[in-house]
Amino acid sequence: MTVSRRAFVKSGGLALFSLGLDPLFLGRAAYALRRPAPSSAVLVCLFQRGAVDGLNMIVPHGEPLYYRERPRIAIPAQDVVDLDGHFGLHPSLAPLKALWDNKSLAAIHAIGSPDATRSHFDAQDYMETGTPGVKSTADGWVNRYCSHDREHADTPFRAVAFGPQLPRILAGSAPSLAIDDLQAFGLRIPQEATRDRLTRAFEQLYEGAATGLLASSSQEGFEAIQMLKRVDPAQYRPAADVEYPPGRLGRTLLQIAQLIKADVGLEIAFADSGGWDTHVNQGSSDGQLAARLRELGLGLAAFALDLGDRMRSVVVLTMSEFGRTIRENGNSGTDHGHATAMLALGGPVNGGKVLGRWPGLGVEQRFEGRDVAVTTDFRDLFGELLVRHLGAADLASVFPGFDPNPQKFPGAIRG
Amino acid sequence: MRLRLLTAAWLAAATPLGAQGLTARDSALHALNRLAYGPRPGDVDSVARMGVMRWIEQQLDPDHLRDDRLAERERAFKVLDYDRAELAQRYMEAIRERQRIQHDMADSGDSMEPRRGQPGPMREFRELGGDLQQLAVVRAALSERQLREVMVDFWTNHFNVFVGKGADRFLMPSYIEETIRPHALGRFEDLLIATARSPAMLFYLDNAQSIAPGAMPPFPLARNGRGGQGVRARGGTNGRPRPTGINENYARELLELHTLGVDGGYTQQDVIAVARIFTGWSIERPQQGAGFVFRDWAHDRGEKRVLGVTFRDGGMDEGVRLLRFLAAQHATMHHVSAKLCARFVADEPPDGCVDAAVEAWHATNGDMRAVLRAIFTSPDFWAPQAARSKVKTPLEFLVSAVRATGAEPDETPRLAQVVARLGEPLYLQPAPTGYAETQAQWVNSGALLARMNAAVALAAGRLPGAAANLDVVIPLTSDHSQLIDMVNVRLLGGAMSPRTRAVILEQLADVTDPVQARALAVGLTLGGPEFQKQ
Repeated sequence: MTVSRRAFVKSGGLALFSLGLDPLFLGRAAYALRRPAPSSAVLVCLFQRGAVDGLNMIVPHGEPLYYRERPRIAIPAQDVVDLDGHFGLHPSLAPLKALWDNKSLAAIHAIGSPDATRSHFDAQDYMETGTPGVKSTADGWVNRYCSHDREHADTPFRAVAFGPQLPRILAGSAPSLAIDDLQAFGLRIPQEATRDRLTRAFEQLYEGAATGLLASSSQEGFEAIQMLKRVDPAQYRPAADVEYPPGRLGRTLLQIAQLIKADVGLEIAFADSGGWDTHVNQGSSDGQLAARLRELGLGLAAFALDLGDRMRSVVVLTMSEFGRTIRENGNSGTDHGHATAMLALGGPVNGGKVLGRWPGLGVEQRFEGRDVAVTTDFRDLFGELLVRHLGAADLASVFPGFDPNPQKFPGAIRG
Repeated sequence: MRLRLLTAAWLAAATPLGAQGLTARDSALHALNRLAYGPRPGDVDSVARMGVMRWIEQQLDPDHLRDDRLAERERAFKVLDYDRAELAQRYMEAIRERQRIQHDMADSGDSMEPRRGQPGPMREFRELGGDLQQLAVVRAALSERQLREVMVDFWTNHFNVFVGKGADRFLMPSYIEETIRPHALGRFEDLLIATARSPAMLFYLDNAQSIAPGAMPPFPLARNGRGGQGVRARGGTNGRPRPTGINENYARELLELHTLGVDGGYTQQDVIAVARIFTGWSIERPQQGAGFVFRDWAHDRGEKRVLGVTFRDGGMDEGVRLLRFLAAQHATMHHVSAKLCARFVADEPPDGCVDAAVEAWHATNGDMRAVLRAIFTSPDFWAPQAARSKVKTPLEFLVSAVRATGAEPDETPRLAQVVARLGEPLYLQPAPTGYAETQAQWVNSGALLARMNAAVALAAGRLPGAAANLDVVIPLTSDHSQLIDMVNVRLLGGAMSPRTRAVILEQLADVTDPVQARALAVGLTLGGPEFQKQ
């Protein structure tokens, strides 16, 4: 069943010729004919695992209650990088202010899941499967988008996760790659001649004796290796004056930029970063959260600068499983809450705005009396990006059980 | 009675029913691929000599098989030395220590992430998890009771628990050792009840915090401010709300995944009723051992109806009665039998073997040995098109390669890490579905490349955690044609295609060193398409 669906996905554009022809051949032919246009849209998803404190990332400095509830950890008004008189950036995110000013950065506040869980595990799972409250969903929403939307070119690099394993968001029957390190993808043999020779030998073995999924998947893998060898993404050095911050996030963003510049057909990239679960001494303008946000701000700013004009068709989205309590806890930290804030960055973004309906911080406006209420279902934002940025035709199959309504889209993409 | 007669009939038969297309060696290889983690050197011949049906009967009765070598190796795994209460204590200490460190690090403005290479208080539990994974790999590779290990893997997935969720970090060892393993070849009902009572499952699917709406504990839990994170129902400390009602997670997965199946004919009302029946099934606090406890005060005393059957005034017995009832439903028998056939026969199993399994289940009240015997004697199992039709899971691939090359796995978690890189980190499937029995979950380009890398490394003696003993399996020879014939017979049971043979022969053409030639031939064979199948 899955095999035939994959074959169909791959050969979708060539249905006319499909009678009596081998799907493997069709896959290759489809691939050759449908080489992606260099300007095709890209979505980069960055998951902040551990639940980022949305209130200290996008600070509601215009709310006296914010300061009353957080005597030790609130960002002092004079430190906040003001955005619109009511909200402002954490000072660590100051490198992103220029992007706000040129209208390519938006924040979406009070966004989250309709499910009330405060378990990291469940909430991350729901955000990746795209089915809040349903634990048994096996695949992720990005993969469902890739398997249902056949309009896009199907290259081995269409959906790539940076990390050792495929995350839940990419799990499923559509081809997707997990790349730990772009330079080391393929056979791990130090001598290039031996490596090339063995790669070719394995390719011949699989061409000769594999059938079904083994055949199509191995073919995708060898195509990916060949493409990487041909385009050599490492040749794309960061633009002059661009310096990615040290650490895994910076390295990953650099490699995503290289894949985009190499025009291998990347449509969705996924990366994650940890350390956002700030229960204890999270700090204020400085400290623990400030350090994490500094890496994020520097990384995103470097990425945007590096891609330059190419950012016209790129959107970077940050996401996190939930937000944190409005009131600071007894350990100068915050506990698991409900709504949080997300950032959208890129040329197509309806920037210079804090989007979403702000529910307020008053006790009666809170979720369960303590957390920021969710006024935007995360699927409305994800759905908008799929439809208006990537051109998805069918959201019903991407978010089963959810009724996508363009009226409810937060307006993150310029009309 | 009929089953017994049938069994006697095949034991007497030279070849199994329906296996006319398979030679004695092919039948032995097929059984070793499916009931075991692939053949070790010499296994195919010895099973063929003994008679494959006799070998299957031995595997169905593992307590009479000696397994001394594994028992010796198991002693090196310290995870088997701890009991749950002890681990619970250490886990609580680790959590307190982590909080203390976070305080200190936050004071210096440092990140919360422990520095790479620094131990950190949770290291012991990460190591414990690695230990537990590696133990599974070692058992799969070395045990003489191969079918039992295969069934342990099957049930671990069927009743999946994610070791990365809070308290399951320390509850997992007892889940595997005390809940799954003793029941792997027993009665389904006993296993079902054991999982329902297991602290690991109660925590994983949140039943531990499911209480009757409005129920209050006899004394407030919140007053005890010490410890409790990760095990106690969420509530009390840190201003978090106390659980205020039923939690449906376990109830839903019990019906959908563990028993009836998604099309098993239940409704949302049934799910709610099941959740109410299990209110009060919970976990003791870590200080008390983190064992199973039934909290009478939390139990919903009202009347519940599940699939037309009424439950009331039974306390904890209601849940046990319900589990027995579910285990005896035809939908459950069919759902679990079809899954067993997907594991042992084909990704999309024919009706014949499923029906045979269900019939045996009815006849024996869910004796898994009888159910498995019915599958292994079904003509579908022995049909020539069933042989080599399934793609190996990452665990099956790696362990079968280790066994085929006569390699000895060590105690470090490195082989388990290879299995994880291939896409199957053991006990780390977050979704309650467990890992799939079908190829779509395992076959993707990155995972296949990872298999090729593991194969090349193993053949070259570079795979960390397992030294291959190729001299025993494939003696050195400078005759390339002879080398490939030997590799074909010993590693693939003769399944090598002419094309594969030609490609490997061509690769060997300019290789003069026999050690290098052997490593190349073995690496290409283990990483090639034929070895991915079973």
